[in-house]
Amino acid sequence: MHARRPGKITSPIVSLSTSYVKLVPLGLVIGAIGLGLAYFMSLPQGGLKRFSYSYLVTYCSLLSMSLGCLFFVTVQHLTRAGWSVTVRRIAEIFAMCLIPMFVLFLPILLPVLMQRDDVYQWVNAGWLAGDREMFREIKNAYLNPSWFGIRIVAYFVIWGMMAYSFFGKSLKQDKTADPTLSRTMQKSATWKMIIFAATLVFASFDMEMSLSPRWFSTMFPVYFFAGGVMSAMAAIILTAALLQRSGRVTDEITVEHYHDLAKLTFGFIFFWGYIAFSQFMLIWYANLPEETFWYRFRMGDSASPGWIFWSLLLLFGHLLIPFLAMMARTVRRNKTYLLFATIFILCMHWVDHFWIIMPQLNIEMGATDVLGGDPANNPLPFSWLIDVPCAIGMVGIYVALFSGIAADRPLVPLHDPRLEESLNYRNA
Amino acid sequence: MAHSHKHDTPVETGPSSKLISLVAQFDDPHSLVAACDRAREAGYKKMDAYSPFPVHGIDDAIGIRRTRLPFFVLAVGLGACAFALLLQYYVNATDESPIFPGYKFFISGKPLFSLPANIPVTFEIIVLSSAFATFFGMWYLNGLPRFANPLHRLPMFRRVTNDKFFLVLEAEDEKFSESRSRQQLEEWGAKAIEECHEDLTDQKIPNGFRLAGIVFLFALLLPPALIYRVSGMTYRQPRLHVVPDMDWQDRYNTQTRGPNIGTPESPRYLFADGRAMQRPVSGTIARGDLTESDEYFRGYKTGTLPVSEGAGPSAQDQDGQDQDGMATGTTPEPEWVDGFPEEVVVNTDFLKRGKQRFEIYCVACHGYDGNGEGLVNQRAVALAAAGEAAWTAAKSLHDPAVKAQPIGRIFDTISNGRATMGPYKDQIPVKDRWAITAYVRALQATGIRTPQELAEANSATPEAGQ
Ligand code: HEC
Repeated sequence: MHARRPGKITSPIVSLSTSYVKLVPLGLVIGAIGLGLAYFMSLPQGGLKRFSYSYLVTYCSLLSMSLGCLFFVTVQHLTRAGWSVTVRRIAEIFAMCLIPMFVLFLPILLPVLMQRDDVYQWVNAGWLAGDREMFREIKNAYLNPSWFGIRIVAYFVIWGMMAYSFFGKSLKQDKTADPTLSRTMQKSATWKMIIFAATLVFASFDMEMSLSPRWFSTMFPVYFFAGGVMSAMAAIILTAALLQRSGRVTDEITVEHYHDLAKLTFGFIFFWGYIAFSQFMLIWYANLPEETFWYRFRMGDSASPGWIFWSLLLLFGHLLIPFLAMMARTVRRNKTYLLFATIFILCMHWVDHFWIIMPQLNIEMGATDVLGGDPANNPLPFSWLIDVPCAIGMVGIYVALFSGIAADRPLVPLHDPRLEESLNYRNA
Repeated sequence: MAHSHKHDTPVETGPSSKLISLVAQFDDPHSLVAACDRAREAGYKKMDAYSPFPVHGIDDAIGIRRTRLPFFVLAVGLGACAFALLLQYYVNATDESPIFPGYKFFISGKPLFSLPANIPVTFEIIVLSSAFATFFGMWYLNGLPRFANPLHRLPMFRRVTNDKFFLVLEAEDEKFSESRSRQQLEEWGAKAIEECHEDLTDQKIPNGFRLAGIVFLFALLLPPALIYRVSGMTYRQPRLHVVPDMDWQDRYNTQTRGPNIGTPESPRYLFADGRAMQRPVSGTIARGDLTESDEYFRGYKTGTLPVSEGAGPSAQDQDGQDQDGMATGTTPEPEWVDGFPEEVVVNTDFLKRGKQRFEIYCVACHGYDGNGEGLVNQRAVALAAAGEAAWTAAKSLHDPAVKAQPIGRIFDTISNGRATMGPYKDQIPVKDRWAITAYVRALQATGIRTPQELAEANSATPEAGQ
């Protein structure tokens, strides 16, 4: 048996130290170049609309990932978990990114408030013309620009306060070593979790599901959540691995933590698959045209047949391959392997949101009718020169946000009462 | 406790029986783990550690190899996946299998074998069998179940569930020698050492188990006995309704008026025409309802259906739905096919199927020989003779007039009925109707004679049918 480590931080470097001074501007420059290129390239292909869709894909991937981290932090407090203490700070910082992410949503929100229907067609009050009155009233009562704006602000206020309270108290504990702070966080995690669930549900409706406002699936938020938590686990692993490679927090995050995070990733990979299939199966089986059209378009039986490739890519790349690739104990304990595996998983998470969002662009820009139209006029809206630079740019900005928030703050809680438990944590 | 009291004086064990292990006691988990490390380093392979609670790091200390269980479970899981898919294919999508036929039902217009619908079942079967494989595989790998373990005979060992920790070196180990191992254990800090001897009483099945086993075996006989008792019994009571919701469903039938969702004064219905269910969209046809071939589905040569005085055959007439089930011989007839359509292959199996179906649907009136001596027919004829009923006697299938009929005509009789004989097209699938037709032809070829012919030949009164 290994000797028990005292609850003390021993790594020589536990913060980004001065490198954040370089990382922040670097991220912002990459962001500016990437987004600028994407915007420039979209001009001839639909302008703001094309750009906004591409932007929304990466935005939603990162948003759901940050929400997954916020969930992770909350659930650790809720369950009084000891094992995760040393990786919790990374999740706290990711969750903190939710605050500046409100600003990043403005390019989507402001046009909506200015009554522009580039992204959300329901902004145009006439979108339901020809439908039955009752249906129109109900949909418009919820989907209208001002109420949408209020909701978005409310979500970010709630998430921001949640993230800030966890992060702030945790930092305070670094200084005061006051164990009662943990108790306060544990208590508040109860009701915070409920509010988190409620806001996440409606945010997923608003930001992604309402792109195709006739379509509805009450399982969609769970789908959004499952992918988000999966990517959050992968992001924590990836960040921890990169930090350790650069010589930081080398002693605190052990292979046991990687092992457990990888188990959670594995669990959520399958949970995502379970939910994705359940949502598909119920709609497929009931076979109601007002629901099936969403899947029919994505199954290639449509004006843009290429989508079946993306659907299969998700089935294999997001479920089957990672499921097998993350199954074995040995690989979950191999940091180098995990580094590549998590990058792959994060890419798949992006593909997932691409698959949710982009077909709508197809429908709006090409086909006059969901089930008809000429494929030649309606190529798959994937462009190496728009979507990829846009994604890289957004990730650059996100890295800048992370580095700015982390700054020279410790990357592990220094005086958490369960720090010793976490340091000595071992998988049986 | 009576149990522990009984073993306070371990009479069953004795130094005379074979030594199977040395049991060393330790006072805390750290010294146990340390001792295990030493034992492993000394080359011991067959040993085990026992503690009141899980001790971290003990697996490494006693050198437990990674279990083979995951691979076993993986194999079972993959097998279950294949099994579940095959099972569903067999049951849903086949209907001509040697053992028993599957159920080719079209449900909600889905293909017979459609993967999305099969995944939940497959998933559940994989989960269930993997759980069983894990649980019973764990039993197997641990040598369970066992009625007793000789370790439990040692009074010292009893504190393993309380506050003591034990390392057990097994005598089977290559490194094991009684004196040396004992010395080593002492060296490694054992607080007490005891010998554990083989105990043959452990192999005995406890008495209670025997009794329970016998009772269980007898209980197994109950279901077959009950089935035997009720088979062939007649019941006068109405049947039991186990799930009343399913037997009396709160639903609307197809050709009825739908629910009124307005007020009684100004009724409104879900569908504009007020029906509970819509008719199929014009120009579409439900899966399995495509009955194009006249030869196969209706028994006459294409295009030979005579146009009746009224409107010609409409789209709905296609499958003969609107034709009069009690068609009389006076209406002009189409040109019947005089051979079997290409969709059916007449062979022994097909005739066997026809015989079986004939004996289900036709013998009640036509009798096993087809000479019209079925029980229903006898009774109906008797009632008709007494003036209590009207009945046209069932024809003998050996009647020269029937024998002379083309095959398609017989098929049509089965499908649409004749006089008192009702139509069977809604009860018997088309292929089976052809099988019965084939069997009727076979019966006719046997040379069985009609009752009249028999009577003439024997110059005696016809006997009652068997
Ligand atoms: C309810 C009693 C009943 C059952 C069951 C029954 N039939 Fe008949 N069947 C009759 C009667 C009665 C007639 C005579 C009708 C007539 O002469 O007009 C008849 C006549 C026939 C005829 C001669 C039709 C003709 O053109 O004269 C054939 C062939 C025949 N049945 C075959 C079958 C077959 C095959 C079955 C089994 C699928 C069957 N029947 C089941 C009562 C029955």
